[in-house]
Amino acid sequence: MSTESTNQNNLSEKKDFLVRSSSLKDVRNFSREVFEKFKINEDLREELVLAIAEAAQNIVKHAYRDFPDTQDRMAVRISCSDKELEIAFFDKGKPVEKSKVKHRAIDDVKPGGLGTFFIQEIMDSIKFKEGDKPWINNLVLTKKL
Amino acid sequence: MKFKVTENENISTVFLNGEIDMDIADNVREVIFPLIDSGKEVHLNMKDVQYMDSSGISVIVESNQRAKEKNTKVELKEVSQPVEKVLAMARKFL
Repeated sequence: MSTESTNQNNLSEKKDFLVRSSSLKDVRNFSREVFEKFKINEDLREELVLAIAEAAQNIVKHAYRDFPDTQDRMAVRISCSDKELEIAFFDKGKPVEKSKVKHRAIDDVKPGGLGTFFIQEIMDSIKFKEGDKPWINNLVLTKKL
Repeated sequence: MKFKVTENENISTVFLNGEIDMDIADNVREVIFPLIDSGKEVHLNMKDVQYMDSSGISVIVESNQRAKEKNTKVELKEVSQPVEKVLAMARKFL
């Protein structure tokens, strides 16, 4: 875990993980450690952990769908100011097609798209950006505190 | 990961535990689906599940669909608070 800045009003922690499903537990544990360190409201912590885990899962499932044995790493950065939490994800997988990132119609009983729905329910904003080199994708989630 | 399974007449109870995510979901399917396919009613005891994400919900939805096809059913028992929170959020969607 690397601390990028620790001035009193702006905290940031970043860590990278191998892109595979077995890393998701490590992503959750990293998030829990950071939220404890940042003293995020306990009622909010597990919801945020769920949103982060779903976003990381989407990288494994979608950005690296055709490369299950990749040695690439994804990075998660959690930043906190007095009023807002920002969670950024960086990966080098298949570029995200924004038009395809949506949850399904309510009358379709298959569960696919549920993870994206959870992220939308929990977070205030979701932005997909092109990543600065070497990254391809940069997803940024924010939540007002 | 192994899960305890108990049998009582035609009901099999699977005691899930820990954190159910994408990495574990296939293990859970491997335990539940053969029980459903044998025509048994399956109870999923969730009291020791500390975390579950959309992959866990997928397993539950797929299990329900599979049970309907086999004319049996799947029930959730002793749902833990973290799981109940995720189920409540999922109900808005499903």
